[in-house]
Amino acid sequence: MAELPAPTEDEFRRLCEYLYRRTGMVFNEAKRYYVERRVWDRMAATESSSFAIYFARLRTDMEDEIQQFVNAFTVNETYFYREDYQLKCLTSDLMLERVREKQSGDVIRIWSAACSSGEEPYSIAMWLLENWPTVDDYAIEIVASDIDTRVLDLARAGTYGKRALMRLPPELIGKYFDALPGELWRISPQLRDSVSFTAVNLVDPDQTWPHGQFDVVFCRNVLIYFDDASRRLAAENLYENLFPGGFICLGHTESMSRISPLFEVRRFADAIVYQRPEIKQS
Amino acid sequence: MPLVRKPTLPAEHRNPAPAEVLAGLVSASCDERWAAARAAGGLPEAAAALAAALLHESDAHVREAMFTSLVRIGTRDSVARVLPMLRSHDSALRTGALDALRSSPSAAHEFLPQLLSDPDVDVRILSCELARSLPTEEASRSLCALLAHEPEINVCAAAIEVLAEVGDQAALPTLARCAQRFSQVPFLEFAIRLATNRITAAGNRG
Amino acid sequence: MSAGPKTILVVDDAALVRVYYRSILEEAGFRVEEALNGLEALEALLGKPADLLVVDINMPQMDGLTFLRVLRDRADPLAAIPALVTSTESAQADVAAARAAGANFYLLKPVERGQLVEFARMLCGVAP
Repeated sequence: MAELPAPTEDEFRRLCEYLYRRTGMVFNEAKRYYVERRVWDRMAATESSSFAIYFARLRTDMEDEIQQFVNAFTVNETYFYREDYQLKCLTSDLMLERVREKQSGDVIRIWSAACSSGEEPYSIAMWLLENWPTVDDYAIEIVASDIDTRVLDLARAGTYGKRALMRLPPELIGKYFDALPGELWRISPQLRDSVSFTAVNLVDPDQTWPHGQFDVVFCRNVLIYFDDASRRLAAENLYENLFPGGFICLGHTESMSRISPLFEVRRFADAIVYQRPEIKQS
Repeated sequence: MPLVRKPTLPAEHRNPAPAEVLAGLVSASCDERWAAARAAGGLPEAAAALAAALLHESDAHVREAMFTSLVRIGTRDSVARVLPMLRSHDSALRTGALDALRSSPSAAHEFLPQLLSDPDVDVRILSCELARSLPTEEASRSLCALLAHEPEINVCAAAIEVLAEVGDQAALPTLARCAQRFSQVPFLEFAIRLATNRITAAGNRG
Repeated sequence: MSAGPKTILVVDDAALVRVYYRSILEEAGFRVEEALNGLEALEALLGKPADLLVVDINMPQMDGLTFLRVLRDRADPLAAIPALVTSTESAQADVAAARAAGANFYLLKPVERGQLVEFARMLCGVAP
């Protein structure tokens, strides 16, 4: 396909406004090139000869185009240490704040709330063991959930191909995985037994409430698939699943500013995260 | 190994009885009001109590939970009870009401014609936003019908804002006439020009 | 006070309004950032402070007055950023409410080009 002209300023703006309204995904000038590339990919895939034609397709959600477009951003193929800037933030800042009021031996609860085939919760476990000097001082509980029970089975099995491990240095692979025939690796039994997997629909408070309160929740790249009402309700449910002062991390194109006013925004060196307010001492 | 997997089962979710929920909505305790507001989302009969409580609720979080529950209930009745809040002098209450209506597009649909012709200027301004979620052709038609006779500049501005996204070719003459009517208002001239460009670009088949 | 162009954060959920203000303010030599509601404005300010806020009242998630109250309540320099509130409401009570929330000035929409530039220059300490 011939080289397509870049979208005009106004076209780019319209697209971002529309995506923001429809999915909650936030794009700014810094992400412009990234967005344009995805637009070009989708224009080629849908044989749209102009941006206007493609945008009309997107607006009417022809053949599920919104889902296709969003998928191009979220890269459904997950992998270990994805969006690792948030893992850095976890050990550089979030854990330090959470343990301020904790004693040695206390529990720290972390929830991977859209865990898919398990790369995220296992990544959290590995990262903590590798990067948090005082990890042995606490009892860390990692709960992982997804609405899809098939991926949960995969997560429990803990077997992955080469692509999922592409960000991991060989020492880590050697330390935490057992090599299997056919270029597969299995998470070590110790790590596999450290994460509990469970089915949860984030939009149903009857399913989220029973899991109690957490110090940190990861809810990455799943709220963008919900409609406004579901997104709002899921955020409220997750709010209740946080301790006062607990943190929630969203995906790199997401922002609570489009979803819910319940949280406070905190900016750390490595990431922007959202926090359930501490209890005010009046 | 500091990673532990707790063998205990999660707690059962308790669903309070309706009477308890209604009492909780007016409790002196913020925490109790929050819990009651959350629980009310599963009780369609609580819509009236939620709406009444909202008018006096001072805590922003509890207000948010009350609106979320009204959205969850999602009946014609619950939407009807939110509508009057668009007239409130409290900007936070107006925002909460509009957000709730935005999240209930099909339920709000029915009320849109009456909202767009409301005698209150501010209600008309806010209601233009709700037209965004109508099917495109209907949204365009409704907003053009408003624009054709609307005397208030800020209502026109709100309608043009939404038409810039949902307007179709049929909206162009109405926009042009509006530009003539308000030729002395630079912002409207600007907005109509931009909206016209966007609609025209969308209509071009390259 | 830093040298270089002043940055104005425009906080309004109406896209056309933001485009309009941006064109006016950039032409007058300001740098413009945008936010669609009070929450997004707070998040933006944490990344990049502004010299002036132009804030609408009716916005989703967090209205302009709530945003100002939250901002003024902060214990850091962000709390002192001057704010020009724009509104469709002309009643005295609304102006008073905006002042009480922390607005420095209040302009009725639609904001006139010359007015916006004049107030922007004044509140940013830029020579006319």
